[in-house]
Amino acid sequence: MKVLVRKTIGIMTVLMLFILAACSGTSTETGTESESGDNTEQASGTLSAKIGVVSYLTGAGAAYGEAITQGLKLAQEEINEQGEVNIELVIEDSAGEADQALSAAQKLMNDDEILAIIGPTLSTEFLAVAPEADLNGIPIIGTSTTVDGIPEIGDYVFRNAIPESLAIPAAMEKAVERTNAKKVALIYGNDDAVTKGGFEVMERTAKEMGLEIVATETFQKGQSDYNAQLTKIKNGNPDLVLASALYNEGAVIMDQARKMGIDVPFVGGNGFNSPQAIEIAGEAANGLIVGTPWFGESDDPKVVEFNEKYEAKFGKLPDQFAAQAYDALYIYADALKRAGEADRDVFRDALAETKDLEGLLGNFSFDEIGDVVMDVTVLEIKDGKFVEFE
Amino acid sequence: MLADIINPYFLQILSFILINILLAISVYVPLSSGQLSLGSAGFMGVGAYTSALLTIHFDIPLIIGILAGACVAGILGIIVGIPSLRLSGVYLAIATLGLGEVIRVIFVNWESLTKGSIGLTGIPQMGREILNFAKGFGFDPAMIGLKSNQFVYLVIVLILLLLVIATIWFVVRQQNSRVGRSLSSIQMDEKAAESMGINITYYKVLSFTQGAFLAGLAGALFAHVMGYISPSDFSYHRAVEILIFTVFGGSEVILGAVFGATFLTLVPEVLRFISDYRYIIYGIVLIILMAVRPQGIFDIHLLNRLKGLKRSKGGVR
Amino acid sequence: MLLEQLVNGITLGSIYAIVALGFTLVFGVLGIINMAHGEIFMVGAFVGVMTTSVLGWPLWLAFIASIVVTGILGYLLERITLRPLRGKKGVSHLAPLISTIGVSILLENLSHHIFGAGNQPFRSSFAEISIEIGSITIYLVQIVIFAISILLMIGLTIWLSKTKAGKALRATAENLETASILGVDTKKIITLTVIIASAMGGIAGILVGMAFNSVSPQMGLSMGLKGLAIIILGGMGNVKGAMAGGLILGLSETFLVAFGDSGYRDAIAFIMIIFILLLRPQGIFGSKIAEGR
Repeated sequence: MKVLVRKTIGIMTVLMLFILAACSGTSTETGTESESGDNTEQASGTLSAKIGVVSYLTGAGAAYGEAITQGLKLAQEEINEQGEVNIELVIEDSAGEADQALSAAQKLMNDDEILAIIGPTLSTEFLAVAPEADLNGIPIIGTSTTVDGIPEIGDYVFRNAIPESLAIPAAMEKAVERTNAKKVALIYGNDDAVTKGGFEVMERTAKEMGLEIVATETFQKGQSDYNAQLTKIKNGNPDLVLASALYNEGAVIMDQARKMGIDVPFVGGNGFNSPQAIEIAGEAANGLIVGTPWFGESDDPKVVEFNEKYEAKFGKLPDQFAAQAYDALYIYADALKRAGEADRDVFRDALAETKDLEGLLGNFSFDEIGDVVMDVTVLEIKDGKFVEFE
Repeated sequence: MLADIINPYFLQILSFILINILLAISVYVPLSSGQLSLGSAGFMGVGAYTSALLTIHFDIPLIIGILAGACVAGILGIIVGIPSLRLSGVYLAIATLGLGEVIRVIFVNWESLTKGSIGLTGIPQMGREILNFAKGFGFDPAMIGLKSNQFVYLVIVLILLLLVIATIWFVVRQQNSRVGRSLSSIQMDEKAAESMGINITYYKVLSFTQGAFLAGLAGALFAHVMGYISPSDFSYHRAVEILIFTVFGGSEVILGAVFGATFLTLVPEVLRFISDYRYIIYGIVLIILMAVRPQGIFDIHLLNRLKGLKRSKGGVR
Repeated sequence: MLLEQLVNGITLGSIYAIVALGFTLVFGVLGIINMAHGEIFMVGAFVGVMTTSVLGWPLWLAFIASIVVTGILGYLLERITLRPLRGKKGVSHLAPLISTIGVSILLENLSHHIFGAGNQPFRSSFAEISIEIGSITIYLVQIVIFAISILLMIGLTIWLSKTKAGKALRATAENLETASILGVDTKKIITLTVIIASAMGGIAGILVGMAFNSVSPQMGLSMGLKGLAIIILGGMGNVKGAMAGGLILGLSETFLVAFGDSGYRDAIAFIMIIFILLLRPQGIFGSKIAEGR
């Protein structure tokens, strides 16, 4: 017994020493790197830059981070092939937690070779990281952060994700126009920043449009039984259900609602817009209306090409998160070309002037604070497919 | 010279390590009287929200805000600690676990105050506040050859380091005092301790409250280092993570808590490639540790042996 | 509306009860709280999804597969994490709690890696069968869930009080050493208990999958925490208490949503146990005074 204990202590000590050694090893490496200083223009004349990426790659929401980094990698490949600029991506994981996102971003910001940052994925992470990036004078762009008040953080903070305050009212207006809805019911996840933000927009818009709200219900992460909330909603007899949920929960909610006999259309936020919703809910997903810049079934040649390339490379169809990340890197590349040098301040100014860039998601510009200016497409699920809403 | 060494990224990691050490000690202290509290994430949240709200809305100095955060958590500790005395072992663990969850749900739902799940933004950041304060006296970090963000994080780390050292000093002093001996006698055998005339109620509530206070302090510091908090920062996962810090390092000696927090905060940063498997490894570590070495890596015997080694190396005596 | 909510509440409550039965069985015999029970339940649900949706097996076979897999998990749990701690000198009574937390973290994150983080739909034609009674629709699944929970409770009660194995189990629960002196193979009994409890978790998993059509790696955590709350509510180690506690929690959660604020739904279980622990630590049905296990 004693020998066993002694042996385990021995092993653990060795392990510890190893890790400590590894730690000091990396620290010296980074130290020398940061000393080597400014960006270099390659001899060939192509402008090269390192872009830092903070993404949600492990944990419950890893699927989002995966889509985002895949979108970025595809864009990187294409941009580098074109040859005008050469972009290198430095990807760090945030595990969906604000403190880890801040550490990861700090690591990137501190590397003088990093020109700008893309991410982090979640709004809660972004809200922690962006003020720090702004203070350090490094441009940062949110590709999936849809809550209110993001570009307002500072001059160096941008986003190309379409905010809920743009997407949801567009979808609601069209839905109300067609169904002639008077009464609506709301359901949302109250322990998630994105769905909570979406709910606030829905409530505000419903009031502005003079709709009667018959029920407001919440649910929490990890819940699988929504019957109690839905029964209450059903009892209010709404003409329309406004559901601010991520597709994961949203699809299950729709499934249970249809089984209960709630047959009215659902209006969802950005997070609800995913082919996965159809995968999970099947027929029950029919009647979902979302406002989005991304329409995967579109016959726009750019989108078709993107779909093909993405599927060939990663073995599955892209979603909104991949598309927005893909566009974000093109926005960066475009700004870099105009900036002409890999300097954070010059790059920021060029980025802020981005106007009428034709991207995958359509015509793109930043407004004066760095928020997205873009047309929203309203989609609905019909016969198990996303189609444009008429 | 100094400016080349000071890297805000490492300072940031270091500041998280220091906060985690405080959290690990907040589990260690009640445990030293045999009380397992899984509510540290909740107490941490109370401290963080109290301090953040006070400093945002009433513009009070940070130091008072942080102290208030820790005190509110401590008072909550007393309120919870007294009735919990009737519970022991696993019952206490579950009640505190429940408490933590209830606190988180309140943060999510009390929207007028906490802004719900969106969280509180614009919390004054400790280092920056001090920088502004120092600038008021005509001080510029460039005077000592630092960039301002280097100065900001250096200040944070120094403050945290001071607090951690003070806490450890206090806990060690207490352990070697009458209070500490009472606590460990309660841990060994409550009934025997009582029959020896030790006031169990007092000492148990004392250690539980100290744990809550420390967790609240750590939470308040966390809020002012991050500048942003949301309820998801104080979930069940956080509580388990804090527990793992203490249990892994060794729950019998304070060095264990310090080591556990340091080691387990560093590992995912250093070995980022394993971060994908981090929680899987946590799980396996817990299982193996309980089966092979339930007292954690460091225990009194190991410490004694290390001391012995040092002595024989020194060749004295 | 009231009637519909009642049906919702009873369905939810029955599921909670089945989960809590597994908890209470392990606690009753071993005196430990199995924090991994929720995750075993989740694995059971995933086995159901995989066998029916991916492999296309019939439902009854899926049930058997799920029981077998979770039973094996139970065996491993006992063999690897619980037995080494038993009877060892100097092991704190908190060690099994921490060790099973380790198992729960491990299982949840393994499922993340294997099945992905998202929800998996549970496709089964059985889940579509419904009966209309007046204005309300009741699904056959809901009735089955209720029936299974009652059957399991009655079965367990009879098994514990009437059969030889059940009596041996109770003897072991009463006093491990005495039971083994009296010729009870306590090792076997304990292993059997953990296996049965885990298999019940597996059954609950499939039922949840069918009833709510969603299975995800995170579902184990919230279900596990609620099951924990229920056995405290009903009295640790008490079979009837687990059933009653499950129904009480299911109904109160449903009625909180129906007539109150759905935002506090997740807190109600814990508010209840905090009060119960303070007012009547032995639980509603418990008789023993809760003391330093």
